[in-house]
Amino acid sequence: MDTFFFLLFKSLETGSVYALAALGIVLIFRTSSTTNFAQGSIGTLNAFVAAKLFIEWGWSIWAVAVVSMLTAFITGILIDTFIIRPASKVSPVSKQIITLGLIMVIIGLIPMIFGVDPLRIPRFINITESSTIHLLGTTITHNAIFIITLSISLMGFLFWFLKYTRWGLAIRVTASNEVTSRLMGVPTKRVTMASWATAAAFGTLAALIIAPQSSVNVMMMSDVQVNAFFACVLGGFGTFHGPVIGAYIIAFSKSATQYYVDDVWGNVYVYIIILIFLFFKPFGLFGKKSISKV
Amino acid sequence: MTINKKWLKEFFSTKGVMSKSFTKSPPIRYILFGVLLSFAPMLISAEIMEYSTLSTIALLIIYTIVALGLNLLLGFSGLISLGTAGFIGFGAYGVIYFSDALSLTFIGATLVTLAVAGLIGALIGLFSLKVEGIYLAIATLFVGEIFLQIFKTVTWFTGGFSGTAFHYPHINMLFGTFAIDRNLTYILLVIMMVITMIIIYNIVNSRTGRALMAMSRSQHAAQAMGISLMKYRLVAFITATLFATLAGVLYASFFKYVTPVEWTLNLSLIIIAIVVVGGFKSIFGTFIGAFIIYGLPALWLKELFSGINGFSYIFSGILIIVVIMFYPHGAVYIGHDIKKLYYKIKQRTKKKVTPNE
Repeated sequence: MDTFFFLLFKSLETGSVYALAALGIVLIFRTSSTTNFAQGSIGTLNAFVAAKLFIEWGWSIWAVAVVSMLTAFITGILIDTFIIRPASKVSPVSKQIITLGLIMVIIGLIPMIFGVDPLRIPRFINITESSTIHLLGTTITHNAIFIITLSISLMGFLFWFLKYTRWGLAIRVTASNEVTSRLMGVPTKRVTMASWATAAAFGTLAALIIAPQSSVNVMMMSDVQVNAFFACVLGGFGTFHGPVIGAYIIAFSKSATQYYVDDVWGNVYVYIIILIFLFFKPFGLFGKKSISKV
Repeated sequence: MTINKKWLKEFFSTKGVMSKSFTKSPPIRYILFGVLLSFAPMLISAEIMEYSTLSTIALLIIYTIVALGLNLLLGFSGLISLGTAGFIGFGAYGVIYFSDALSLTFIGATLVTLAVAGLIGALIGLFSLKVEGIYLAIATLFVGEIFLQIFKTVTWFTGGFSGTAFHYPHINMLFGTFAIDRNLTYILLVIMMVITMIIIYNIVNSRTGRALMAMSRSQHAAQAMGISLMKYRLVAFITATLFATLAGVLYASFFKYVTPVEWTLNLSLIIIAIVVVGGFKSIFGTFIGAFIIYGLPALWLKELFSGINGFSYIFSGILIIVVIMFYPHGAVYIGHDIKKLYYKIKQRTKKKVTPNE
């Protein structure tokens, strides 16, 4: 049982990272009808901003996190204004490739601005003997607890926002039909802008959470990005909460199969199970079939 | 797949090689283009071109072959695949493994690799009958990730992280085996690309191509017209995987070394970018797309901006974005626009001249 709880806590932590990224992807998917492949790269770019501020200006990790999420917010707005909105007429596949172009621009920009060396940033709360709690036969760090609570409460806030505020309603109607909601007077342009900004901020938070595990480098988000897509598919693109639940399921089943079944092939088993699951439920756990006229 | 009869008629027509309709026939253009590309090794021996440039052109050709296969999937049947890189990697590793382990000839190993890949492609095709759109795209990403895991961990198949080595192919003919060198391998690549172009051209201009096109517009309408979704989806997926795998085989034969790190999502995205930037449904466009996305940065920009780190990446990123924004149907149409502009200017100058007369 001890190892079970250990795995549970660990996967709650990684699941939060996947969930943040996945929520960003689904927000953008629903409001601008494109799959954002650059979700990870935007997070990486702003994590570099954070690392630079931390190392060269000596700011605290908290201040750095807030500032980098603000810059992420601005990045999202800029991307939407100058790239996504002018290209709103192109086909969805082409739009996806535009986000690939974004990845290339970001990969090129990072060494130009921040140099080629990987940078290091610390955890939010340092792991010491005093900052670990013994719980249910295993240990959990304050940092992990903080990350889990922060991301769950942030996402909870977003769900509350989507459900009970005017702006949340605007996002939901834009997601369900953009043209009609524009005719109804919903400021859809501002809605997509806000979703890009929020998605970028979430991606950056995810990047800041996983950065201390290795370092801030160009490729650090590629694994998160791929898993976030898997989470979106498992939960279904149809709802906002589906991908979040999918992310936690994927994180847990991956670490559980890796521990209990097979160290190397655990991931592959999970992928195959999800593929089989998709065959029977092609729109994910919570998704519904969208009906279109011929 | 039926061979285009019109083209055959032109080929055997009594008008002769230089007749206008003959040179305008696309397959002949592809062959001429291939002949043109085959001069590259000579340029190297004449020291006009650098030795390493041939590798760049070879990779350009390999990307074109993959993208042509994907174009059939993406452009003609509207299905997106994110697992292409996995199949290229499988082709590269497969030909090495099968020629060593089963001690097959190069052609035999290639055929076995293609058969295995085709089988996996057929499975994905069947899968695509149930799962659609973005869900299908990410399902193929799962396949790509599984391939990546195999490349990294199954050491008896791939040699693990350090990779595995190969040699230039030995081609078996009826009258004996001969090992070909770098230049001849390059020619083999060019020949394969021309053959791929002709095959795709023939598929597109046949019953299959029209069925795929109908499917991409509306599945339900196509089904109502009596098109079997299963048959043509299988055709599209199998063709795309076969060409990706073939490109992988060619990669292994030209570069003689395969490592597991290259076959990621990013490569699949680059292949899709080649199709999108070059132009859906265009065969020459696919080569143009490959040239814009891979060739231009590798051949020219890297040297031009070698002082500035990462500039070629930024440039090609911006290029992708700009081309898609202004030419959503592909860069092939730049030519049309230039022609239009030319005629416009011509007409304007004519108008100015006539009143004076």
